[in-house]
Amino acid sequence: MTSSSGRPWRGGARDDTSLSEILYVLGSRRLLVVGAVLILAGIALLFGLFREPVYVAEARVSVEPRGKLDSEEARLAFLEEVRGSVVTQKMLDEVRRKAGWESTPEEFSERLDPETFAGRNGGSGLLIRFAGDEPGQASRVANAYAQAFVAGVDDLGDRPVADGVPVAEASVEQRAVPGGYRPRPLIYAAIAAGAGLLLGGAVALVLEGRASGWRGVRDAELTLKVSVLGSIPDYSPERTEG
Amino acid sequence: MLDPAAPVRSHYEELAGNLLGIEGTGIVVVTSPDPGAGRTSVCLGLGAAVAGMGRRAAVVDCNLANSQLHRMIGEPNFVGLTSGLEDSKTLEHHGYEVLPGLLVVPTGPVLSDPASILENEGVPKALRHLQASRDLVLLDAPVAWGVLRSPNLSGSFDGVLLVVHASRTPKVAAREAADDLLAAGVNLLGVVLNGCT
Repeated sequence: MTSSSGRPWRGGARDDTSLSEILYVLGSRRLLVVGAVLILAGIALLFGLFREPVYVAEARVSVEPRGKLDSEEARLAFLEEVRGSVVTQKMLDEVRRKAGWESTPEEFSERLDPETFAGRNGGSGLLIRFAGDEPGQASRVANAYAQAFVAGVDDLGDRPVADGVPVAEASVEQRAVPGGYRPRPLIYAAIAAGAGLLLGGAVALVLEGRASGWRGVRDAELTLKVSVLGSIPDYSPERTEG
Repeated sequence: MLDPAAPVRSHYEELAGNLLGIEGTGIVVVTSPDPGAGRTSVCLGLGAAVAGMGRRAAVVDCNLANSQLHRMIGEPNFVGLTSGLEDSKTLEHHGYEVLPGLLVVPTGPVLSDPASILENEGVPKALRHLQASRDLVLLDAPVAWGVLRSPNLSGSFDGVLLVVHASRTPKVAAREAADDLLAAGVNLLGVVLNGCT
């Protein structure tokens, strides 16, 4: 089998890797690519089916400065100052106690995700997410944290939080409610399959770059970007001097 | 290889057809990225296929530093290309007609620096003279870097055929050779993939 397309590589960018070249490499190493896709997708599917359910509950606390802060950055900085003043170890102990948390404080911290926010059109505060093993536990902790935070802000009174920053007012804007758990094993598997395709493809391209043997005319043409005028089978290996 | 009934003959015939189909390929330099790719075998097989098609071909050994062609046809290296540079006879008189229509010209005695002999201005002249009586002249040349170092081999003839061996030629070496030949402005006619399984 030889090239029948004349001399297609002349004048082209020899350093460019064409789509057909990539597809050829992937096709010639399809076992590797398909294997990577199946393994990663399978692991993700099993993970999605058998993982412990995690329930995330979310409470929202509104925190507003008494004075006016124009920029979003200034309001976020203000919120961080407030959080730094209010959230203490004592407050966290109180939250754990009220929520009935029985595991370690470290695990509690890992599952807790408070985040400040400041919208462009006003509205700023703290978003509290907690990932629990049960829906009730997640919402209990998020609400306990929100209430403790509001109480902590109230305790600040008229005390300035930072240089020139007015005192804040806070309220629970949205209480956390027990949420459902929706496992998505197929979505996990699809994402993992995509990752497997990328990983397998990358490994195939690396292996191809390091390969020394030639698989055939198509391989030679794609590698050299020069037309193959002929291929000679290895009938007499002892007579190939030169 | 010279046997018309050899199983490789059809492959060489296809190669010959493709090569002769390219316009202006009277004298073709046959090289390879590394030694051991089978340049000499390809030259002989290709020449035999051209002769078998009723055309006239010649294979000239230009690998003066490591001549192989005469060994493959089982002839001495007493006369050849260098002889043609020293007397007034054409290369037709310094080769062996191993098949009807196929002339094989060894290097001949190499008594001085091979590189300087190859750069003799008489080399292109002698080969053009040989081409006048042949449809295709194949030059069994050194490896690619040797061709690139030789202005005669890289620039005086009609094109270059690159032989790569399916199991012995590293892909990186082949790619570099092809890139270097094209970067030097050589008319790279194509590739022969030798030793396929």
